[in-house]
Parts: sequence; C-alpha cells; structure tokens
Amino acid sequence: MDSFVIRVGGEAGWGIATAANLIAHIFIKLGYHVFSSKEYASQIKGGHNYHTLRISSKPLGADVDKVDMLLALDSVTVEKHTSYVVDGGMILYNDSIEIKDTKSTVTYVPLPITTIQQTLNEKNIANTVFVGAAIKSLNIEYDVLKSVMADIFNHKLQLLDILANAAHTGYDSMEKGVGIGLSAGEKSSLEFYNGNGAITKGALDAGITFHAQYPMTPVSAILHDLAKESINNKDLTVIQPEDEIAAINMALGASYAGSRAMTATSGGGFSLMVESVGLASMAELPLVIIEGQRPGPATGLPTKTEQGDLSFVLSAGQGDFPHVVIAPGNVQECYTETKRAFYLAEKYQLPVIVLVDTLLAESFSTIKLSNTLNIDFSQRFNIIDNANQYQMKNGLFMRYSEDNFLRTLPGTKNGIYTCAGDEHTNVGSITEDPTIRNGMMRHRMGKLKKIEEELPVPELYGSINADMTLVCWGSTTSAVMEVVNRLGTEGKSVNMVHMKYMCPFHTSSVHDILSKSNKILLIENNYTGQLGKLIMEKTGIHVNDTILKYDGQPFTVDELYNLIIQKW
Amino acid sequence: MVTLEEYNSTEKPTWCPGCADYTILTTIKKTLTELNIESHNAVLVSGVGCFAKLPYWIKTNGFVGLHGRSLPVAQGIKLANEDLTVIAFGGDGDGYSEGGNHFIHACRRNVNITYVVHNNGVFGLTTGQYSSTSTMGTKSKSSPRGSIEVSFNPIAVALASGATFIARVYVGNPSHCVDIMKKAVQHNGFAFVDIIQPCITFGKNHEYYKDKIYIVDEKYDWSDKSTAFLKALESDTGKIPCGIIYKK
Ligand SMILES: Cc1ncc(C[n+]2csc(CCOP(=O)(O)OP(=O)(O)O)c2C)c(N)n1
Ligand SMILES: [Mg+2]
Repeated sequence: MDSFVIRVGGEAGWGIATAANLIAHIFIKLGYHVFSSKEYASQIKGGHNYHTLRISSKPLGADVDKVDMLLALDSVTVEKHTSYVVDGGMILYNDSIEIKDTKSTVTYVPLPITTIQQTLNEKNIANTVFVGAAIKSLNIEYDVLKSVMADIFNHKLQLLDILANAAHTGYDSMEKGVGIGLSAGEKSSLEFYNGNGAITKGALDAGITFHAQYPMTPVSAILHDLAKESINNKDLTVIQPEDEIAAINMALGASYAGSRAMTATSGGGFSLMVESVGLASMAELPLVIIEGQRPGPATGLPTKTEQGDLSFVLSAGQGDFPHVVIAPGNVQECYTETKRAFYLAEKYQLPVIVLVDTLLAESFSTIKLSNTLNIDFSQRFNIIDNANQYQMKNGLFMRYSEDNFLRTLPGTKNGIYTCAGDEHTNVGSITEDPTIRNGMMRHRMGKLKKIEEELPVPELYGSINADMTLVCWGSTTSAVMEVVNRLGTEGKSVNMVHMKYMCPFHTSSVHDILSKSNKILLIENNYTGQLGKLIMEKTGIHVNDTILKYDGQPFTVDELYNLIIQKW
Repeated sequence: MVTLEEYNSTEKPTWCPGCADYTILTTIKKTLTELNIESHNAVLVSGVGCFAKLPYWIKTNGFVGLHGRSLPVAQGIKLANEDLTVIAFGGDGDGYSEGGNHFIHACRRNVNITYVVHNNGVFGLTTGQYSSTSTMGTKSKSSPRGSIEVSFNPIAVALASGATFIARVYVGNPSHCVDIMKKAVQHNGFAFVDIIQPCITFGKNHEYYKDKIYIVDEKYDWSDKSTAFLKALESDTGKIPCGIIYKK
C-alpha cells in the first residue's frame, strides 16, 4: 500500500471541506504528504459533496479507486461510496442513518451525533465529531488535532472552543485503533495549497501589483484571495470589473503604466478576452493570464474538469502574434510557473497564459515553496527611467526597437511614445509601410525563439528505450507518473514525457524523444487529443494511440492503469 | 510654463480636410497647455474609429487600443499611477455601442479620469453606417429604409449610472469646448464630455445643428439631478443643450 485514503462526504453546507482540511493538516503535521480533491455539484446548498484525502510518504497528485476510511455524515455518502471501501476498511457513520446492506469485510462504526449535539447543545458540529473519532481510530493523539484546530481557527476563538469540545467528544467516543501503516517523512516545511492558492502565492512572490478579474469557476478563489491580500498590501490593486473584456483591458492599462498585472478566467471568459490578447502582443505589453479550463462548450459542466482549451488558447487571436502558453503539471508547478510567467511577460513584453483546469485549480497538494526559480523580482526587467539615449529626431522615445525590449512608463521625461494596437513605427506612430511592417513582425515574432531558449526542455521520465512512451500534459501528469511508477515496479518497460511549454514549443527536443519511442500513447482529458494535434503540427509525428476522457471527471490512477494495460 | 508647442507632433493627421476632429485635437492641446500639465504626465487613451487616431497626433503619451475599450484601459492606467492626467476618447460607435457596458460602469466607478466622446452620429471609419446616436429614420448604407431604433441618450445614461461630471459641447464653439474640457479634466472623479460634431463626409453638417444647439444659461442649476434629467431628455425633442449638465 502506498497511500491511505480517507473520504468524507455529506451535504453541501455541512462543513465537509473543514473536516477534510483538518484531517489533511493533521497528517501534514505528522510529516506526511497529502493530496486532497473535492467533488461537488453546481449547487450552493444541499447537493452531495465529498472530499478525498490521499495520505502518503511521497508527493501525489491524483486519486485512486479505493477508500480505506469513509466518514459518512449522511446516507447518500454510504450509498454512493461503500463500494469503494476496501476489505478491512472502515466506515464511520452518523447513527441516525439506517444502513441497509452491510459489507461483511468492512467495519462499521456508528457515531452518536444526535446525542452528542444534544448533550453539547450545539448544531453543525458533526464534522468535527467525525474528525475526532477518525483520528482516534488511526491512533493519533488528540493533542495533534488540538494544535491543528488552534492554527486554523486562531481568529475565531469562540468557534474554536465549540469545535474543540465536539472533536474531543468524538475522540472519546471511539476505541483506539492502529495507525495508517505508512511511514511519515521528517516534519518538514511542507505547505498545503491548491492550484489556485499556489498561483496566487506565485503571483504575490513575483510582485504582482494589479489584478482584475470577473468571477468564474474554477478560478474565482484567485480573485477572493488577492482581494483579501490587498486589504493590507498597499502595493496591490484588485478590481472586479463589469466583464472579462474590461478585466483584461484594465490589466493592460495598468501594465502599460507600470504595474505587474494579471487576470484570471475560464474558457468562457477567455473567449471574450481573445481580441485583447492580440492587443497585448501588438502593443508589447506584459500580462499574465490564468486560464482555468472546465468542460465546454458554452457553460458546459461548470464545476467539472477537462483539458479542452489547449488548441483554443494556442490560437486565440487574429493574425500571427507572439504569446506564451504554459501548462503546469501539478500544484507545485502552478506556483513556480506563475512566477516564471511574470518574469517572461515583463522581460519580453507579451501575454503569458498559464493554463490549468478544475482538477489542478481546486485539489490540494503538499508542496515546497523553496525557490526553484532564481529570479530577483525586486528589480524591473527592461524598464528604463532615463530615455535620453533613445530619443528619435521627432523628440519621441524609440519604444519599438528591433534590437532591444526597453520601455518607459508614462510619466518619464523624454519617454513619450504611442502604445499602439495599429501597426506602428518605432515610436508607435500608425503606419502601413511594408518595410516597417516586416521589421515589426520579425521583432515581435522573434521573441518566441529567445523565450524557447530560456525554457527548460522536456525530459523523459522512466526507463530509457522503453516499450511504451506515455505523453501527457497538465493535470493528468500526476496520474500518469504514478502509473509509470507502478508499471515500473511490476517490471514493465515504460516511460513518459510531460509537456509543459506549449508555446513556444521545444520542437527538436520533442521530436528527438518521440522519434526514438517504440510506441507512443497519448493521454488527455479531452475529446480530440489536442496535445497530439500540436505534436503532429510541430514535429510531424502522428500519435494515433490515445486514451481520451471527456466525461468531466479526472483519471484515477487505477482507471488509467487498467486502460494502459489494455493497450500493451 | 507649458507651451502649446510642447504638444505639437511632427506627424500630419490624415482626417478628411475640414473634419471636426481637428478642432477637438486643438481643444485637447489647449486644455492640457492651459492647465499647465507637462506632456510626459498626460496620457491619451483611445479605441478605434476616425476619432481614435487623435493620440497619434499629439506629442504626449498615447494608448490606442481596441474598438470600444478605451475606458477600461484608461481606468487601469489611473489605478496604476494616480499622478497621471488620463483622458479617454470614444466615438458614438466605439463608446456607445461596442463599449457601452464599460461606459455605464465607468460612470458608476468614478475613477478620476476624463472621458471624451466624439459624437458625430455616424460610423465614420467604416464609411458611414448609422450609429446609436443617429436620429430615428436615418438612412445610411446599413439602414437604406431608415433606422428604426430610438436614439441613444448618453447624458441620461451617464446620469442614471451615477457619473459625477456630465457635460456636452458642440465642436462649432471651440472656446466653449476648451472651457468645459478644462473643468472636466480638473474635476475630481469621472468626468464625461459628449462632443457633438458633424461628419462632413458621411453625416450631418453644421447647418443641421445650428438651430438645435444652445448653451444652458447661467441660472441653470447643474447640481440638481432631477433638473439635470429633464435637461438630458430635451435632446430627445430636438433641442441640444450644451454646457455642464450635472456636477456633483
Ligand atoms: C471589434 C471591432 N469591430 C468592428 C470594427 C470596425 N470599426 C472600426 S471603426 C468602427 C466604427 C467607428 O465609428 P465611431 O466609433 O463612431 O468613430 P468615428 O469613425 O465615427 O469617429 C467600426 C465598426 C473594429 N475595428 N473592431
Ligand atoms: Mg462616429
């Protein structure tokens, strides 16, 4: 066994997320890695809601099909999830539920929720009673829970009192059990983030000063967290404008005036932004755009996951225009790549899209915030405050030069130019001169080659010269990697390539790797195999063996394992 | 002292000879000069239309973005650096159709910028289709039997949306334009100026406006919103009141 899985389910509004969060932090405190995903309907109150926690000795980023311990706050949880509980597993349930068909290989433990609520004269405490009982049955000391609760509820002392009391009662109501049977790591400095949180943290560490966003699942939390941050961060302006077109154009205005600017949305909102992405490219403005994919088209499945927007974001704009598209493969990379996005945007003055999806944006992983990218964000890249040396005869600043990427900010003496969406001369004047047009196209498009040289090349993971090479990107990467490891321990010869930089694309490295592969299998969470199409376009290599999924659900490791075995 | 020359560009405008946009160009230069704003501290933001080329032809910081989107850009600039004097430009097509949503919400948001709309009642750059401010029945290439839509009333919309400075001027009275424009730029909050202008190539000429345009008299109380609403609605009946219509 490489992970211990706890699932907690109940109705929306019952504090299921809080229970999951408490359990996660207890295990993190004990030195484990935790991966936590959630599943919910597009309904605020009353829908069935569950969180799954995978506890492990090493970092993980995907779910499996088994559950070791089920915390069932309601009968729906029992009905829907009992079949996943392993032999020898345990179901803790609210004793007011009637259990119809019991599974003989599973231990059922009723918790007297109603009695406890009456005794303590409190409602809405079932979630913490369950947590208390669960950790006792896993042989964890109450003190660990107590200190985790104190950390989480440190601003709400009265609530902390009530919840701690409830958790303690739950703890006392339970027999002490055995542990989860996995060794913990050192009690290291692991942080617990979801993709949204890691992106927000990355943006802050990169010195973001302006964020404009119109709410949209799955990335609204970025807006919420930055808005909260801006209360005490005087350098950060956060605004919720009238629509996504306003959001991106405000961000472009702020960027032009010197802010480090970002916007975030999902595919629908990004559709509205498309024309302005081109403006950023043409006017050469730095901008970070977070695109959190969910299944389309139109409103699609608003709370589910899919990798369906890759082709779209790659070609989102009229004409040939330079932009960068980065697809982080896990929560750790959401952090690092957001920072990289700010750096590339500012240095090369163009839009950088960070492409994530619901699964990545909303599931939590233990990550390290250690500086994997060595960039000093206290300095500005390619911004000058003395433009005297770059004056043209007409007294304007040579903003759009073929040789460098220097810009002034408005307010700079001798730094005047026009920031232009029309084709323009080197000072930004409107022009239709074919020679200037050619030069400007080369100047703008030439950025991609330079950026490609700065980006780490894709690497092969697993055995060299393997029988099968798995190709994937984004949120499916963790599941694929786990399958590669599992197949490896079974003696199967397999490896994988995870594509992170979609534009610019490392054509020759990818061609090198894939042309040596014996059999290539493409794995994507979409209908048409969009990465496959990109690889075909760039390298000429046609990947015709695919595992594609587009039902709104992510791959579980077990599911993927079985599908790959069938392809062997 | 800032001089008018400081704002002179070496580029030559390509508007039709006699276009009212030349007058607006001069109005903006005079406004900035007379308010003693140094050219590197001003930013002119526009979208797409004939009007939108104005920033190319004044020597100051310019941002010529997309059709209908000057307002969000201008607000972003001001939020990023409040020391800049930011003037956004729109056209009746650009600002009232394509960017109509931004107009409503910029009025509500009250960011300290000036918004100037070149209202010529026609899509100039796309060669003369009727626009949202064309009078009902206007015949054009895209409305050969006459437009069937009620004319958009920007002053009333700005009032209803909470703008704190609302004015209208007629390009045929350049000194009044400069006078009002200076007050708009000095206003602390979102200042909106609708400039009625002929389009000598595709739209109405000065003759058409001559008897309709008048400047509100000195007794007019622009601080009262209900009075201002009545004034705003006058343009639906044929007369076009100019001057400050509302100021908070
Ligand atoms: C998104 C988009 N739609 C349409 C156009 C084409 N277009 C350019 S200018 C214009 C209308 C211009 O009219 P107005 O804003 O009134 O400015 P004017 O030319 O009259 O000064 C249109 C429809 C465009 N450039 N971008
Ligand atoms: Mg017009």
